[in-house]
Amino acid sequence: MEEVQFFKVEYFLEVLPKIISKVNVTLELTIAATLFSLILGIFIAVVAYYKIPVIYQITRAYISVMRGTPIVSQLYFFYYGIALYSAVVRNMTPLVAVCVVMSLNEGAFMSESIRAALMSVDEGQKEAAYSLGMTNFQLVRRIIIPQAIRIALPPLFNDIINLTKMTSLAFMLGVPDIMGAAKIEGARTFRYFEIYAAVMFSYWLIIFVLGLIHKYLEKKCAEAY
Amino acid sequence: MEENVMVKVEHLYKNFGNETQVLKDVNLTVNKNEVIAILGPSGTGKSTLLRCLNYLTVPTKGIINIGGKKVDAAKHSKKDVVDLRKHSSMVFQGYNLFKNKTALENVMEALITVQNKPKEEARKIAMNYVAKVGMEDRKDYYPSKLSGGQQQRIAIARAMAVNPNVILFDEPTSALDPELVGEVLSTIKDLAKEGTTMILVTHEIGFAREVATRVLFMDDGKIVADGTPEEIIDNPEDERLQQFLNVITK
Repeated sequence: MEEVQFFKVEYFLEVLPKIISKVNVTLELTIAATLFSLILGIFIAVVAYYKIPVIYQITRAYISVMRGTPIVSQLYFFYYGIALYSAVVRNMTPLVAVCVVMSLNEGAFMSESIRAALMSVDEGQKEAAYSLGMTNFQLVRRIIIPQAIRIALPPLFNDIINLTKMTSLAFMLGVPDIMGAAKIEGARTFRYFEIYAAVMFSYWLIIFVLGLIHKYLEKKCAEAY
Repeated sequence: MEENVMVKVEHLYKNFGNETQVLKDVNLTVNKNEVIAILGPSGTGKSTLLRCLNYLTVPTKGIINIGGKKVDAAKHSKKDVVDLRKHSSMVFQGYNLFKNKTALENVMEALITVQNKPKEEARKIAMNYVAKVGMEDRKDYYPSKLSGGQQQRIAIARAMAVNPNVILFDEPTSALDPELVGEVLSTIKDLAKEGTTMILVTHEIGFAREVATRVLFMDDGKIVADGTPEEIIDNPEDERLQQFLNVITK
């Protein structure tokens, strides 16, 4: 009887390049969704900071839905549910659809990280700015935002890391990413142990690099004051 | 308004909610070069009065006029408030320096944003005031690297640099360690000697007697005594004032 090898290193090394070759899809999705969710997050945070009537209530309801329901159900609801009634969604490629849903989802989380950072700038500095005759806009641009960025960095990187891992769900709508490559390879060889080890290694590598970027940025900010 | 009247407050009221009346019909005229110390038990509206002057606290009723800019609480726009604030500046109990700016940049900030001065000119003006408060050697430090006394001196330079009609001091030494109070008081004293118009809320009776040209005693939302330091501190007539001075000098 042939001995079954527990972990075939040669196979792992053979499959790893195949998996890593799909990292670009994951990265594309992560970068695009990070960008959109950041814009959305800043917008929602500013609305919340100034409690702009009507829009504020709408954004609160939106955050409640996005945080209160699983991302998988959101993906299906959007891509299969809303698609029934919207030609725009029907005509989307899976990649675009996933990007839209993940941006909407992550934007809700990022808005809270950014809002907390905006609120962390103490009342005293705002009063000082007002007492000198500065306008609200000058205050936000020159005093609040520069300080808020520094405070928002750690929670925002947490959000981005979550987003990176969340992209592994894109395969559910047929996006040929890391997980897609793994599934195809698995159907061929059934060596799931090595295959998913390679998958995990790939994600870990991306997030490790993200961590380095975070460290670099944080150090840059800390040098300032 | 007369040439040398810097601040004029008419029938100023401030209520918090429906019940709490903090200021009850305050009237006050401050002339150029006057140094006014406001004394009184805590909770009598001293800080509220000061904060109403630059609308950090919005008055319920009354008219405020600083350096010719008149604002009526009954009908004021955002622009009125911003304009009013350009005529005064404030030194806070907690310093309130901008944490993302160096000492010098703190002093430059309003010159650039509010007075639209070119950066180089703003730097020159700011340097002058930073030197005045004896902080040249620390001008490039961020607030987090300065002691409380040093931060407050920079805050004073920031308040002076905008060349206001009046500087408002809201208990400028209350948050300081005792050994740092002296340097801040002597900085304020130098300002007073130069003829800067000032209103200061303070608990330092000795200091008030020394620098103030006029002392106000507030109690229960009203100015109940108004006179020279000799009249108010050395020979108090009002009974509540006597009680207050007894407690505080004990």
